[in-house]
Amino acid sequence: MELPVYVRNDRAPLPPADAKVQATVCAYCIVGCGFKVYTWPVGREGGPGAKDNAFGADFPTGFEGAWVSPNQHTTVLSGGKPHHCVIVADIEAQVVNPGGNHSIRGGTLALKCHNPNGPTQDRLRFPQARIGGRLARISWDTAIEVMAAVSKHVLAKHGEAAWGMKTYSYEFFENTYAISKLAFESIKTPAFAVHDKPSMSNDTAGMDDAGILTFSAAYEDFKSAEVLFLSGTDPYESKTVVFTEWMMRSKATMVFVVPRRTMGVAYAEANGGLFLQIIPGTDALLHMALGRIILENGWEDKEFLQQWVANAWEIDSGFGRGTRNTPWQWRTTWGDIGAADFASYKKWLLAHEPASLAFAAKETGIPKEKILKAAKLLSGAGKAKPKATFLFEKGNYWSNNYLNTASLASLALLCGSGNRPGRMVSRLGGHQRGWMGAAPYPREKSPERLPGRRKVELDLDRWVEKGQVRFLWVIGTTWTGAMTASQELARTVRKLTVENPHQPTSVNKDDIVAALIKRVESGGMVLVDSDLYPVNPLNTELADIVLPAAAWGEHDGSRCNGERRLRLYPKFYDAPGEAEPDWRAIARFAQAMGFSGYHWADGNAVFEEAARFSRGDVLDYYPLVWKANRDGKKGHESLRAMGTTGIQCPVRIEEGKLVGTVRLHDSTLKPADLEGPTTHAKWLTAFNTHSGKALLIKSPWELFADFYARIKPDALKGELWVTCGRINEAWQSGFDDLRKPYMAARWPGNFVEIHPDDAKARGVESGDMVRLTNDDVLIQTGGFNRVEADEIKFSWLEREGHIRIGKGQIEGVAMVTAAVPPGVLFTYFLYPDNPFNALAHRVVDPITNNYRYKLAKAKMIRIGESPYKKDRRFMTFQRRDFSG
Amino acid sequence: MSSFRVPLEESEPGCPGPCNPVDRRAFLFASGATMMSVTLPGLGWAQGQLAKYPRQKVAELGKVKTGEAVEFRYPWDHSNCRMVLVKLGQEGGGGVGPKKDIVAFSSLCPHMGWEIPSKKFYPEVGMAGPCPGHLTTFDLTRHGMVVSGHATQGLPQVVLEVEGENILAVGIFGLLFGFGDNKAKPG
Repeated sequence: MELPVYVRNDRAPLPPADAKVQATVCAYCIVGCGFKVYTWPVGREGGPGAKDNAFGADFPTGFEGAWVSPNQHTTVLSGGKPHHCVIVADIEAQVVNPGGNHSIRGGTLALKCHNPNGPTQDRLRFPQARIGGRLARISWDTAIEVMAAVSKHVLAKHGEAAWGMKTYSYEFFENTYAISKLAFESIKTPAFAVHDKPSMSNDTAGMDDAGILTFSAAYEDFKSAEVLFLSGTDPYESKTVVFTEWMMRSKATMVFVVPRRTMGVAYAEANGGLFLQIIPGTDALLHMALGRIILENGWEDKEFLQQWVANAWEIDSGFGRGTRNTPWQWRTTWGDIGAADFASYKKWLLAHEPASLAFAAKETGIPKEKILKAAKLLSGAGKAKPKATFLFEKGNYWSNNYLNTASLASLALLCGSGNRPGRMVSRLGGHQRGWMGAAPYPREKSPERLPGRRKVELDLDRWVEKGQVRFLWVIGTTWTGAMTASQELARTVRKLTVENPHQPTSVNKDDIVAALIKRVESGGMVLVDSDLYPVNPLNTELADIVLPAAAWGEHDGSRCNGERRLRLYPKFYDAPGEAEPDWRAIARFAQAMGFSGYHWADGNAVFEEAARFSRGDVLDYYPLVWKANRDGKKGHESLRAMGTTGIQCPVRIEEGKLVGTVRLHDSTLKPADLEGPTTHAKWLTAFNTHSGKALLIKSPWELFADFYARIKPDALKGELWVTCGRINEAWQSGFDDLRKPYMAARWPGNFVEIHPDDAKARGVESGDMVRLTNDDVLIQTGGFNRVEADEIKFSWLEREGHIRIGKGQIEGVAMVTAAVPPGVLFTYFLYPDNPFNALAHRVVDPITNNYRYKLAKAKMIRIGESPYKKDRRFMTFQRRDFSG
Repeated sequence: MSSFRVPLEESEPGCPGPCNPVDRRAFLFASGATMMSVTLPGLGWAQGQLAKYPRQKVAELGKVKTGEAVEFRYPWDHSNCRMVLVKLGQEGGGGVGPKKDIVAFSSLCPHMGWEIPSKKFYPEVGMAGPCPGHLTTFDLTRHGMVVSGHATQGLPQVVLEVEGENILAVGIFGLLFGFGDNKAKPG
């Protein structure tokens, strides 16, 4: 796509006093700041006098007052007529972003809306089919009938595992409920994965196994904590307001564990904090070394461990976790990593050589004295125990998934954290929490097993690579770019689809169906993609059917933020063309397939049905719907009335009133007697285990060491680590940002941060274009059935020929900065056309079937100057961690 | 609605600064770019509205020293119109003077209106910030572009011109925090 032009305006229309005002929540990151949307017909504007504008404020306004930046205004269609649309943070917000704090992403929400005269005009508007290689407009009916005919054939002849879905997990309860109802209840397919994983396994299994639910904390815990341990994320760069509103307003000492120095780190260091600059992939060693120092010195929280960690009897009698055949049950009882009582965990850790300070310091690259200092900060070093909160995100759990999360959980428990205000363990999150499962994943149908005949959630990408998927419906994800070895995956999908000889040659429905069934029978795959925009290469080059989806603001949706706060995201303008919310596309398809239970009248009907399936879970909002209905209201209406405040899940009823739940595992909470449909799960006041006590899980380095040794860059060959992450000014694949002229001027291309030493050695300066290549991308091709215990290891996969070598390359604009250490490059994680993941290995963590996204390597060469090196209107090469 | 174009190429000989009439080339912001934002005419702001920005002397070439900030108010004598002029000692986008290194910006962060004091304008680095409110930083060599942070607009840049020894403020790129229209007289 062509980048839009950024023109700086020196005025912005003010909403008139009678503009329509609606509360909503930001479309982007996990924090979910409250916003207000003002819409009014084009042709007039508000004025600077308080009585003449919707803010009731005299302009110019003062410090932190109401204000509309030019990038907070757009023009949309509402009821088919042009309307001004202004979207600003809610300055009256009581929660999350009190006073109207916001990020640059949320601050430019208006520019994401479909403006038929603006850069968002290329939204998908009609269903299309690929005919003779090009996309042609078809009707919804034709699209759905083709999909149903091919699906019926695939299911009848090849079975459920040949019919797959790859969808977002977060784009509103209404949509994900419909998606999971179709996939898991009606079709019962095991070939399903969400946008950021190859399988439906848990994200942070080590944490879950310890009995810690990963969104347990409330934002107020980040303010009341005395020490914040931040692993694998700088929330300033990615969950902005949780940092600027909650952490910066706390007195906590921050301990950052990230490979790259960012603004959050600079702030921490300037305020007595600690920066543990870690070599990618070695977090488990750091966690274990910290735990070992604490144990060697007797600094652990003995009282907490006594009261809240399961003892040997509780584990052995099955009250910790029983010996049944579900993943968490076998993991917690498997000798190598399983649960241990305090005494045996201590014995194991003190004897585990990789947990020694010397080994950890060498492998993590963090000086011994800094590790020691961190151990003292976290534990209080025998003096008063500080209120320590442990927070983590993908730099942690997507580099060494199981061992990093298990070892972090154990470290936090040794410090007495997990179940008290200011002393929590929590993920910080990426996207918001919008998954509402209608039925459980059908693990029993998965063709993938681990040693001991343990069924695990199927790795969808590997299953596609093996040619086992004949029909795949992708919804709202780039898929190939978002998964590792991206270019290799795209190559595989290309072979299975557009390079297959069987291609439709007319828009006649029967012709399309006949050609696609022939394709299926020849071993090919039929690909459907639902999305907002043209996406390279997924729907521009590969998909057979492309469906237009309605976006944020174009239909009523609901979901939760990182402290489980549920709110309504209302429709405030028209979706383009025939675009529809995905739940409606699912309903159309399910009806064509002959499935019952999909006749929803509107989004509220899905929301209310889904509520019943939330009962007893963390995001339980059934009491809200139950009470609304009793009061003669709809669920959505009840939620709408709660505005930007919403309510924290699980929702409960006390004395006839709805109450939210501030935090989970809250040992200080005294819930009232059960009332109405309220449920009190054990994890409300205790940990999420049978005994309510947490488990110390072992994390032996040997389970990862062979893979880690294989993927380490070889400096003698000129190889460097490449890792990736988020930056404030971009969201996911940049699908909105590159259409926001302001943001596109800031980041017109991908960037690569390079240490000055590495840059000098390669003749690279800031602003040069560099190419990163990896001709040694490891791709797992088999290993669906493992039998013996050692078959879980990477070395077994390699020995048995289940690994092939692929290639990947990306380009970016060099930013030479000492923010990254020598030998480590950092780049954006999902810049379209240059996705970092092209360089990363497609070998799953065998314990959880999750990728080790953050661990790639590459050689780097300079390929010339970027236009931005000298043109001062684009990009900047200043340090992002500049602190004055 | 008035829109300021982006500056001319800095390399162009005799470019006096980014205040020339709109030049089509200025809209070719990205290579191959063809789209531009559509703006709609404003109504109802007629009273107290400037037709164009005043030309206001803000400093003298010979008196501006590298590292010494000059504070002034523009285009109105209003607390939201606090501006900082600095001589960077290195070329800056839109810069004037023999070395094109004299630039001026609003000192109110266009995130939430916190003041970035003039001592937080660092000529040798070419940056302003971090903003004391939420840590946003700005690149003074690149038209006040956000380096890292939350402002939904770069730091508004004062368009400067040189007339003999005098440095004049003649316009503003971007909307000043708190204003609906820079050219509307504060009440």
